[in-house]
Amino acid sequence: MGEGCLKRELGLLQATMMGIGGAICAGVFVTLGYAATLAGTALIIAMVLCGIINLFTMLSYAELGAAIPSAGGEYTFAKVSFGGFLSFATGWFEWISNVFYASFSAVGFAYIISYAVQAANLPIPINVPAIAVITVAIFTVINIKGVKETGRTETALVIVLLALLGTFVFWGLFSGQGTGSLELSAPGGFLGIFKATAFIFVVYLGGEAIAVAQAEIKDPGKTIPRAILLSCIALIVIYTAVAFVVFKMVPPENLAGKDSPLAYVAEQFMGPVGVGIITVAGSIAALSSLNTSIMAQSRVAYALARDGYFPRSFFTLHKRFSTPHIAIFAGSIFAAAIAATGVVNFVAYATDFGFIIGFVFVNLSLMKLRKEKVNLYRPFKVPFYPLTPILGIGASLLLIAFLEPSTLFIGAQLFIFGLIVYYIRMVGHYRICLAIGGMNLGISMFSALVAFLIITGSLPLSLPQNTILLLFWTALSISLIYLIASLLNITRKEKR
Amino acid sequence: MVNVKKAISQFIGGIQCVLGVVASVFAFIIYTSSSMRETLAIASEGEVYLYMFLSSIFGVFSILSGLLLVRGEK
Repeated sequence: MGEGCLKRELGLLQATMMGIGGAICAGVFVTLGYAATLAGTALIIAMVLCGIINLFTMLSYAELGAAIPSAGGEYTFAKVSFGGFLSFATGWFEWISNVFYASFSAVGFAYIISYAVQAANLPIPINVPAIAVITVAIFTVINIKGVKETGRTETALVIVLLALLGTFVFWGLFSGQGTGSLELSAPGGFLGIFKATAFIFVVYLGGEAIAVAQAEIKDPGKTIPRAILLSCIALIVIYTAVAFVVFKMVPPENLAGKDSPLAYVAEQFMGPVGVGIITVAGSIAALSSLNTSIMAQSRVAYALARDGYFPRSFFTLHKRFSTPHIAIFAGSIFAAAIAATGVVNFVAYATDFGFIIGFVFVNLSLMKLRKEKVNLYRPFKVPFYPLTPILGIGASLLLIAFLEPSTLFIGAQLFIFGLIVYYIRMVGHYRICLAIGGMNLGISMFSALVAFLIITGSLPLSLPQNTILLLFWTALSISLIYLIASLLNITRKEKR
Repeated sequence: MVNVKKAISQFIGGIQCVLGVVASVFAFIIYTSSSMRETLAIASEGEVYLYMFLSSIFGVFSILSGLLLVRGEK
């Protein structure tokens, strides 16, 4: 048995498939076009480079996962090494990225279905948010049924996905057609290759789901490092082979502006069958990521609840299925709610930021534990220490620097929300009331100042007089409400 | 006296929750609706994120404060 009553039911095959399925999301089917315009045919090099950067951190996951095989992945590693707010922040970002990743995968799947129905001219009305929510609901049930069912579903999905991608690759390799060239050329030089590396790195994210499910993996000391390394190598081979076939078939400039570059390439040498294969592969990739992320978010929430950061009910297991059903259900509700908005960009940005921050903390945890817990039993050790984790940290920080400004902005917001959750859970109720009372007073004073500036004409508002009066009364009312709220909170008596 | 304080707390808490939800919805609408951005004369992407940030922080804070007042007096 694993931690608490979590059952160790995942073998090497299922764990490896979880790593591969977690990473191959719908992203690879759409990101290749823009990446090819940045790096040209040298995108093949960028793919390998991404895989190697990913491997630096995955080696840290392998060492820590084998040494500390409890539920929670990065969060558990950070808790053992740092504790306090740093460990909570790691768990928070890990949990929230997996919830967002589940939404992203569900919305991606719904868009693929919508695209396929429209392409086939079928008279079926398609509602993208509704399909996304139903898909989340189905995989929530599978996850609640048991980790064995989750593992089996994942294995089946990934095997079909690999078979479809394998068909694309081998058909392309042995096809006599193709107008592309395999001669390496990078129109943007090294900078272009590096930009493409940062852009496509997302296709490698998600493989750390193995570490999150480590409390349910059989013989963790051997299986976790093997599964992580196998999935990393498999991803490098798959992505490089796909990029190789893409550039054999079409020149990079032809991929610019294509919604689904892989489907376009497949159509060039396989005809409509190719479009069908890639569409089915894309939808399966989205489903396998959804399955993995629902599992991963629940195990992180379970571990956070174990340590008192999340509601205690998240730490309970289903009597019959031995799964953290409340944590699965709660995270899925969030994922479904976000998926229902259909806002893909926001979700993708939030996912990237959280995963990359997690990478930094895992490498830092490894270095701290190597220094402080010399005698910790480590069935697997990261080679070339300390160079490997340092490179992992450096590459992750560099990737953060290359992220879109909006990603950093959303990341900062998520951090602030995390900080609020942490203080609510950790600081006593009375102190929270005092702090909230103080902030209410601040808002009240600010609103009063705004009201004063409006009524004295000090704010340059080019609005009708009635609207200005409405704004004045609104600001004054808000000031009064928050002043009363502040007094009610501050004058509250401490419960003993 | 206790009952009056309880009633005021629940009333003010309720208003804060409503204001919080309105602010959060406003943040979402700014992000998704270009017509709303035009109405509010928000020109740059930076301004969009600034308004979103302020609205969502205000929204979350108000909901939290409102819930504390409503639940605290139950």
